[in-house]
Amino acid sequence: MDMATQVTDADDVLVDCRSVWKVFGDKVPAAMRAINERGLGKSEVLKEFGCVVGVSDATLQVRRGEIFCVMGLSGSGKSTLIRMLNNLIAPSGGQVFVKGRDVAKLGPAELRELRARHIAMVFQSVALLPHRTVLENAAFGLEVRGVARDERERTAEAALAKVGLSDWTRRYPSELSGGMQQRVGLARALASDPEIILMDEPFSALDPLIRRQLQDEFRELTKSLGKSAVFITHDLDEAIRIGDRIAIMKDGVIIQIGTAEEIILNPADAYVAEFVAGISRLHLIKAHSVMVPVADWAAERPGVDPAALPDTSPEADIDALIDLTLESAGAGIAVRDGETLVGVVTPRSLLHGVQGSRTSGAAHG
Amino acid sequence: MDTSAIADAFDTAVDDALIWISDNGAFLFDGIRALFEGFYDGVLAALTLAPWPVVAALFALLGWRLLGLWPGVLTAVGLAFCAGMGLWPETMSTFALVITSTCLALVIGLPLGVLAGFLPRLDRAVEPVLDLIQTLPPYIYLLPAIALLGFGPATALAATLIVAMPPAIRLTSLGIRRTPTEFVELGQATGMTPGQMFWKIRLPFALPSIMAGINQSLMMAFGMVVIAGIVGSGGLGETIYEAIRTLDIAKSINAAIAIVILTMVIDRLTQNLVRVVRARP
Repeated sequence: MDMATQVTDADDVLVDCRSVWKVFGDKVPAAMRAINERGLGKSEVLKEFGCVVGVSDATLQVRRGEIFCVMGLSGSGKSTLIRMLNNLIAPSGGQVFVKGRDVAKLGPAELRELRARHIAMVFQSVALLPHRTVLENAAFGLEVRGVARDERERTAEAALAKVGLSDWTRRYPSELSGGMQQRVGLARALASDPEIILMDEPFSALDPLIRRQLQDEFRELTKSLGKSAVFITHDLDEAIRIGDRIAIMKDGVIIQIGTAEEIILNPADAYVAEFVAGISRLHLIKAHSVMVPVADWAAERPGVDPAALPDTSPEADIDALIDLTLESAGAGIAVRDGETLVGVVTPRSLLHGVQGSRTSGAAHG
Repeated sequence: MDTSAIADAFDTAVDDALIWISDNGAFLFDGIRALFEGFYDGVLAALTLAPWPVVAALFALLGWRLLGLWPGVLTAVGLAFCAGMGLWPETMSTFALVITSTCLALVIGLPLGVLAGFLPRLDRAVEPVLDLIQTLPPYIYLLPAIALLGFGPATALAATLIVAMPPAIRLTSLGIRRTPTEFVELGQATGMTPGQMFWKIRLPFALPSIMAGINQSLMMAFGMVVIAGIVGSGGLGETIYEAIRTLDIAKSINAAIAIVILTMVIDRLTQNLVRVVRARP
């Protein structure tokens, strides 16, 4: 396609999906033609061709160092979408570029190379080989690549240390708890030092407490190692906790892409609004979203000097703003970006922010 | 009558075909005979190299390691009983026949089973043939074998090989087909070559099923090797056949007991091998 954008984007955008489709069935080419030429919808494709549309017209970009969550309920096409990123499932239409290369155009050896070195995957089922030790499992990707035993075991040990399993290297997977097994899965992915990690609902089968712990560890680890990740989940809380940006999928369509704050403040439709209704805003909404312009504030409260107000940064969350408001006289909190006053959070605007734009999303947790 | 004429014509055609094959394929069948008998002689020589107490002790040791103390002791007692009945040479030649025919069956059966596991069309083609082999009365295979290979162990081996093959093919194919999908996906996502996928993923997962197939093949071979006593296989089968001809009931019961002991020892040992493979954590 357009070589110029590929080359320039390659530095920042690691994964680039351009209107990717996946249609399952016997008459896929005919169905794709009808979709392109006549703009058929999901149900019409099913009726006319007996084909199921798994993913329709998905466009997304994952940047270097970013954790990108894809959130959707079962059957929303999220698992199909993630499998198209490393070509475990070949797209029926559109293109997937990984590090600037069209995945569908790679030869078998190039594709193996891409999967072995650049884009690792962690599965919901973990898929640890039962007849191998934890260490051998963690070294599996390197073994496939033909790395010598000494070197791959050293690398695998280091990866296991990162996920806190140094003492378990000689055990077998069946001796480990579910959470520990999933850590081995993560270590196996990290051992081959890929730029991108695909996480296919890795924590869904775990207890809530272990799950939270792993979510935090995963985010911290990914950020400290500078990896990019595409993280699939059916849990919006998880997506918000982990993701820098979130894509919400329904019926094979990406309905909205944005940061947690963007999605909560401006849900794209009623479906998304319903989803975000129960989400606690305390830590998601920041001062820059709830502050009022300085001029408006000054008009309302003539004679109060903004310099006398307690001040905070635009990134302060509602939780912190409530604390500041309770401690102060209640005239407002000055929001400063560096030295410049960019706005004022008043108790009134703060309450609006807690309440949310459409629903009475009662703050909990 | 018309129908009997057709039947006669069919029978004549089969006979003629068999004669033609044995005339024109003499060099081939002589070669097969020499190969089978050479293999059998080698195995038998190895088994009879040491006096019976040594062989029995080795089996007892194996039984002890794989199954435990008591099974080990019972193995020793059982084999000593065979020797005590004066049937040690026959017992060992039956054992040699079973080992030889099962090995031959596996040499053909395992690769065919692997192929059938990968190629559903081959599997569908092989399946009815295996059904046929397993439903026909097993001594049917003795006749063409004796026509082509003559009287002796080679014929017994050829017929046993056919009977012993189906379970190995079926269970190997099943094991290969049943690789858990998440591990196939893991292999693909890790960037495995098809060869790596086979050796590191598919084969390890198929191993318990393959081992069960090998155990079943052994058991089929035991059954057939005794029947093959009719064609001069040697061993316990022939002892029983002789005893039936001379109405020597005591001798036939002795031989039958020896067969039961040998079968049980081998079955338990190989079955436990299956469990050892399966139980690996």
